[in-house]
Amino acid sequence: MNLKVDVQEEGHSRVVYLNGEVDVYTASTLKEKLIPLAEETNKTLAVDLSNVNYIDSTGLGIFIGALKCTDKSGSTLKIRGANARVKRLFEITGLSEVIEIDTEQREEA
Amino acid sequence: MQVQTHVDIHSEWGIVAARQAGRKLAREIGFGSVDQARITTAISELARNIYLYANKGQIYIEEVVNSGKRGIKIVAKDQGPGIKDIRKVMEDGYTTSGGLGAGLPGVKRLMDEFTIDSELNNGTTITSVKWLR
Amino acid sequence: MEETKLSMYQLYKEMLNDYLQHKSEHVLYSAQQLSKEMLEKDMSPEEMVSLHISVFKEMVEDLPEEVVDSFELLLEVMIGYGLAHREFMSLRDRQRQLDSELNVAAQMQESLLPHEEINLKTLDFGVISVPSGKMSGDYYHYIQDENGNMGVAVADVIGKGVPAAMCMSMIKYAMDSLPEQRLQPAALLESLNRVVERNIADDMFITMVYGSYDPKKHNFYYASAGHEPGFFYNADTDTFEELETKGLVLGITPKVHYEEFSLSLEPGDFVVLLSDGVTEGRTEGEFIERDDITKLIRKYKHLPAQDIVNQVFRELEKMQDFHLRDDFTLLILRRNV
Repeated sequence: MNLKVDVQEEGHSRVVYLNGEVDVYTASTLKEKLIPLAEETNKTLAVDLSNVNYIDSTGLGIFIGALKCTDKSGSTLKIRGANARVKRLFEITGLSEVIEIDTEQREEA
Repeated sequence: MQVQTHVDIHSEWGIVAARQAGRKLAREIGFGSVDQARITTAISELARNIYLYANKGQIYIEEVVNSGKRGIKIVAKDQGPGIKDIRKVMEDGYTTSGGLGAGLPGVKRLMDEFTIDSELNNGTTITSVKWLR
Repeated sequence: MEETKLSMYQLYKEMLNDYLQHKSEHVLYSAQQLSKEMLEKDMSPEEMVSLHISVFKEMVEDLPEEVVDSFELLLEVMIGYGLAHREFMSLRDRQRQLDSELNVAAQMQESLLPHEEINLKTLDFGVISVPSGKMSGDYYHYIQDENGNMGVAVADVIGKGVPAAMCMSMIKYAMDSLPEQRLQPAALLESLNRVVERNIADDMFITMVYGSYDPKKHNFYYASAGHEPGFFYNADTDTFEELETKGLVLGITPKVHYEEFSLSLEPGDFVVLLSDGVTEGRTEGEFIERDDITKLIRKYKHLPAQDIVNQVFRELEKMQDFHLRDDFTLLILRRNV
């Protein structure tokens, strides 16, 4: 399985577009890109999951690592575009209470 | 006084010359064709290591005698960067360019004695001996 | 050594002679058997080639020079194969050593799990836990206190294998150090969370569900730290309901409040707790859905709890072609009377 990671500046926030599966095989790829962005101070970091159909627990761990980083750096982590299966994972683990999850899909896509 | 041959290694030609010198001496000492091929392969690998990692160095080949036993001693010397983690390069399965079975663990298997001295930024000396049975 | 070489020489000579004369399949078969013996005696390919040349030279007079020379070249090539073969042997030894270390570690891990028999007239209890590899990142726990209350837990460490297993032992020791709160699910998770948060890497976490059953009131109290929701089976309506859960996984922030839920169990009702290895399994790329799990449990619900979990595991294992993607734990607690 592969994961494509694209980073774009959109207004005042960084958006990380993911395409593929976030699992034990691709987690390190995501970590390398996401953690440095999360360490930047006072930014909004959004992760777009519109093209992600599966996240396993190792993948979820990367988001938790990023959340801890943004808490330290004074930045904000947001998740958007998650499908039902992925959203359920964030809800079950209680992460939807500590990470802002936008339920709206991106219309222009 | 034993004969000592020394070959400078700074190109693949040097590797071939070292092989040739080693095979000749091994034959003279009385090694059979399998052992000749093993000794030559060991020289090859040592010389290649010099060529690849230190750019240049020397291979010394000489006959040795110990309590009536005859053997061949190969010394590979370079003034290159040295080996940072000797344990690691001596590990099976560790390879930077040698491929399956090759490299220093291979040399150790082909020969009877094997010692390695290396200092960071100060070069490496590898001494190995094979005894005639 | 020299003796075996000599007998090998003799044996090979007879074999080659025989073959050159009769060209029979029978001799070829013996040659194949011989190669096994040679491998066992650690004979290298270059020695084999050398044996062939010397036998051949002796048998055929005036062997053309080209033939002899060609074998010299072959010998040189075979040295490399010989080295690769020996490296393989040494790597195989190392793998065996690692395997036996892992086996010992797996046994140690197994000893961290409870082994007492549960003998309660009022309760039927069964649990199964199978690692996807040798070591597991799943943990389960059960305990009976002096009042007959029963505590049960299932925890799942992120990832699997050795790192997950090391983390799992932390949960076990942390639980042992919290004696007083054992049967109070929310308080227990809050204490555990503090321990985990202090001791875990940034991108690690643990999910856990803890429940306790009061056999006098027939109530099941539970709290969940981000754990895969279990099921409640209602015998009267013959339906499965998802256990209501809410709560953050262990190890994110030190202060977390967990909500406690309760269920009232009638005779025949049961509670199912599981790790996400149960639902994260896949068959031919398709996910195993939670519905599939409840269907399987329903199929075996007439059996004792331990048999249900065993049978469900067997079927899920088969559905995944005996390749578990994640550690698997399934626990059932049923009210008998």
